[in-house]
Amino acid sequence: MRLLERVARRVLTGIDAATTRLYGWTWNPVHQTGTVAVAMLLVLVATGLYLLLFYRVGSPAASVARIAADPWIGSWVRSLHRYASDLFVIAAALHAFRMFAQSRSWGPRTLAWISGLVLFGTGVVCAWTGFVMAWDTFGERLAKDGGRLLDVLPVLSEPVSRIFAGDGPVPSAFFFVNLFVHIAVPLAMGVALWLHVSRVARPVLLPPKPLLWGIIGALTLASVALPAPLGDAANAFVLARATPTDLMVAWWLPLSERLSPGVVWSAMLAAGVVALLVPRMMRKPREGPLAASVVDPRLCTGCNQCPQDCPWDAITMVNRDDDRPTLLARVDAARCVSCGICAGSCAPMGVGPVGRSGRDQLAALRSSLAVAPVDDTPIVAICCEQAPPAHVVKLRERGARIHQVPCVGNLHSSVIELFVRNGAAGVIVFGCPRRDCVGREGPKWLHERVFNDREAELQPRVDRRRVRLATLAPGALSDAIAALGSFTHDLAVLHRPETSEDDAFDVICEPVATKGPDR
Amino acid sequence: MIASRRLLRWVTAALATAAALFVMVRLSAAPVGYSDPGTSSLRLSWSARPERIEVCRTLSAEELAREEEHMRQRVECEGHFATYTLRVEADGRLLSESVVRGAGLRHDRPIFLLRDLALSSGAHRIRVSFLRRERIDRRAEGDTLEERAERSEADTGLFAGRAAREATERSRRTRAAIPPRLVLDTLLSFAPNRVLLVTLDADRRALEVLDSTATSR
Repeated sequence: MRLLERVARRVLTGIDAATTRLYGWTWNPVHQTGTVAVAMLLVLVATGLYLLLFYRVGSPAASVARIAADPWIGSWVRSLHRYASDLFVIAAALHAFRMFAQSRSWGPRTLAWISGLVLFGTGVVCAWTGFVMAWDTFGERLAKDGGRLLDVLPVLSEPVSRIFAGDGPVPSAFFFVNLFVHIAVPLAMGVALWLHVSRVARPVLLPPKPLLWGIIGALTLASVALPAPLGDAANAFVLARATPTDLMVAWWLPLSERLSPGVVWSAMLAAGVVALLVPRMMRKPREGPLAASVVDPRLCTGCNQCPQDCPWDAITMVNRDDDRPTLLARVDAARCVSCGICAGSCAPMGVGPVGRSGRDQLAALRSSLAVAPVDDTPIVAICCEQAPPAHVVKLRERGARIHQVPCVGNLHSSVIELFVRNGAAGVIVFGCPRRDCVGREGPKWLHERVFNDREAELQPRVDRRRVRLATLAPGALSDAIAALGSFTHDLAVLHRPETSEDDAFDVICEPVATKGPDR
Repeated sequence: MIASRRLLRWVTAALATAAALFVMVRLSAAPVGYSDPGTSSLRLSWSARPERIEVCRTLSAEELAREEEHMRQRVECEGHFATYTLRVEADGRLLSESVVRGAGLRHDRPIFLLRDLALSSGAHRIRVSFLRRERIDRRAEGDTLEERAERSEADTGLFAGRAAREATERSRRTRAAIPPRLVLDTLLSFAPNRVLLVTLDADRRALEVLDSTATSR
């Protein structure tokens, strides 16, 4: 499974690079597949409500044919409904693939993974029932194979398949039940979606507006220019030579028809079990870089910042059990994904994953500076460990001193300050694209801390001209190099800062307990 | 320079989006083969109750007296549901042969039969036989209805009208059950990519052939 994850990671990087080159990292839809899937659900609901007005369970094929024949609204709304369902399936599959490749499927994310699988499965079932509603040759084909599979289960008193045999018309009750499922399943999807995002703070459900409307506009254009074809009306006495098959939702159909129901069920069961077991198979020991955050009660001032910044709602404030009049942060290890954003949010450096708190970062940096001062490489590039290694090498080749952090949201602003104090002409922080941060909100919070005085802010004494934030994404190396070049150019007009040993800085970094007994 | 590069990027992105959409649209309605050209299908489909094969006897007065009054059932039957052999031949060639039982774990539910048999188009001599497998030895079958009626007590009191109702019910079940022997032997013409349906006419208690025109009834 680990090998599979590595391969998936490599494939994903390739896809990301290709799409970033095309769209730029800001509008890369592949970074936002989850929100694109949700947006498509909304499009499906909106177009589905319109189609529902004209659908008749008593004459399904005829009513859909009437809708498809309406050149003004019906045709493109039906096509948009179809294409939105296709894009939903593609986006949801890519989203799951991304989560798997980025090892974001286990531990506290298990609920999201499993509810995501449920969402994907129910979405596909919903699509199948939608095709059956149209009752063209493809709908009939799906229904027949579905009936064949259902009939081997000991749940129905009479086999479904016989109603398609032709010795009587297909009863309206069948289409009514099918319609009911088609409408009820999305309601269940609403619950699953709520579960899916229940463990994240500030869930982002939609892509940025330009991307959202761009996608909807493109799908609408496709619907107008290339309306979804409708097959011939189903006829039990005609063997269609071919059916207009939607391979996004029914790629398995030609294969399933050739296999026995037992084999098909076994394959589906096996695939389902493997998918559900991914969190278990992918889990790693919660130690080292994956250890949950801990709070040092001596340092916690009860400022309530880390619960606000935590993207996973893993931190709460509780009453202290000592005599200090403040609250104390408490990390729920079961929800903590070790993103380390809390470490960047804590001014007194009292919280963070073991070995990655602000103090640990400063200590490690001091050790590093003792061995290799910044004098030789005046520009420091702080890069996220998720950045492509080849891109990082290119930045190094352009003269930047590389300092890597697990996530830029993890980076404490004091680290930037320490670099500047030690003579760095400037510090440029390369984060991931905002919508592709494994810590979810790393670049956002870093920007706020550096430029907007969010708690744990970069101190005013640091010249902001010497600090820059940029993005380093697969496929966007030239942008990163350009950002580095521009920063270098801008720094050229500034004098190189002098190395300073500011006592105040050290005092800030000393443990609170050493300040004295008067606390 | 930057503007032209940006324009080029926009155009490339637009073209890539259009290409991706085109692929998606095409995959959304890809013509996937379903049946081979020139083939036809003979479909067998019917649903009916299998015949109940049972041996009944009339309980004696002593046996009835041993039961509580409300449990006194004068006729006691034991048996099972019949099984059938389905055999389909086309031009003397065996297409399918199988044993058909009632649905359910105890096979006491109706038979739901559905078979699709591929045939080349054209005329074929089709013979479908659906024969009960069990032989019923009438001599060992127990009481007949008449014998039971003769031996039964007066049709009064708690049993008022029961013998008549039983007779009616048995008659109805026999009529509703699949006959012990169903045979269809006929010459059928199969149009390309068409289905002919053989089903059971419940009224005539015989197999019949339907095509698309016949089902519009």
